Amino acid sequence: MSWCWFAHLSEPDAEDLSEALASAAVADPDGAPAGLVAAWPQGRKPVRSAARMDRRLVDPAGPPAWLSLVLVPPELAPLFDDAAVSQAMRRVLAGPPYAAVSTLVRDAVHFAGAVTVEQGPSPRRLADDPFALLHPARVLRVGPGMFGTVAPPPGPAIQRYAGKPWPVAGFDSHGIRMP
Amino acid sequence: MPEPLEPGRRFPDLELPDHGGNRRRLSELAEGDPLLVNFYRGFWCPKEQAFFRRLVRLQDEAEVAYTRFVSVSVDPPETAAPFRAGLGARWTFLSDTKRRYLAELGLRETTDRVHRPYLPASFLLAPDLTIHQAWNGYWFWGRPTNEELRQGFRAVTRAIRPDWEVPAT
Repeated sequence: MSWCWFAHLSEPDAEDLSEALASAAVADPDGAPAGLVAAWPQGRKPVRSAARMDRRLVDPAGPPAWLSLVLVPPELAPLFDDAAVSQAMRRVLAGPPYAAVSTLVRDAVHFAGAVTVEQGPSPRRLADDPFALLHPARVLRVGPGMFGTVAPPPGPAIQRYAGKPWPVAGFDSHGIRMP
Repeated sequence: MPEPLEPGRRFPDLELPDHGGNRRRLSELAEGDPLLVNFYRGFWCPKEQAFFRRLVRLQDEAEVAYTRFVSVSVDPPETAAPFRAGLGARWTFLSDTKRRYLAELGLRETTDRVHRPYLPASFLLAPDLTIHQAWNGYWFWGRPTNEELRQGFRAVTRAIRPDWEVPAT
């Protein structure tokens, strides 16, 4: 299991998307166009605003979805280990599962935001997005071909693995030795 | 006659629906970390409620220790989910409503013919599902204390993490 790059682009450039894993147009709940969201494979950062996200959320065959997007500006970003971030992850684990959830990270120590996905006709449940307590969320309607459904994270673990976005698990730098 | 679930043996990679109805496998839930699997009679049993309160206290440590819990019963997801929520548990509950693994695991509680539940039992597993320790919880005092679980998680973590001894710079 691993991560990918993710970004919300207000004015996308076709060149930005040339190596994307998936992308989809997004709109505000009233239908006003709001650019697009896209995901790219691990490797070189594709666009300046990209952050790391759990790769499993990306599904080029996924249906339309509702997205609660929390993007914290770098100057306001709390530490990932801030108690407020931990409490938001606990609330995700404790509550009824969303279709998919990933935190976003830009560097090894800061919380850059979160992506919470719901599928269905209404974004009503996204009003309870626990990460929206950290920074205002923008709710967007996402076109098909971007997000799939991911089984909820196993608990109670909420620690990140070597800077990966939660709930991506596993340490890459040193393998696991079975007893 | 099922093989005894004892230390050193590989625990079966159960595949069951979770409290949200998603099909899950134990190996996927372990995700490379030590795993506690506990079988419980059902939401109605006061002994289980007492034991879960113990595990809920331990989860505040487990959440920062790269450690997973899974609880299994014959309760359906729509019963397991509110029970889990009421406890404040933040780990996965699996539902074996068809009693698919009762016989295979040798965990049929034969003295309860009303609920036909799992025999209460706890297993501390390595990430590859090798059994490190097992507890028979038929009598409440047979269940692991949180201190025993801490010791077990320490032993498994020490065994699987090559950098348990901090690398020299």
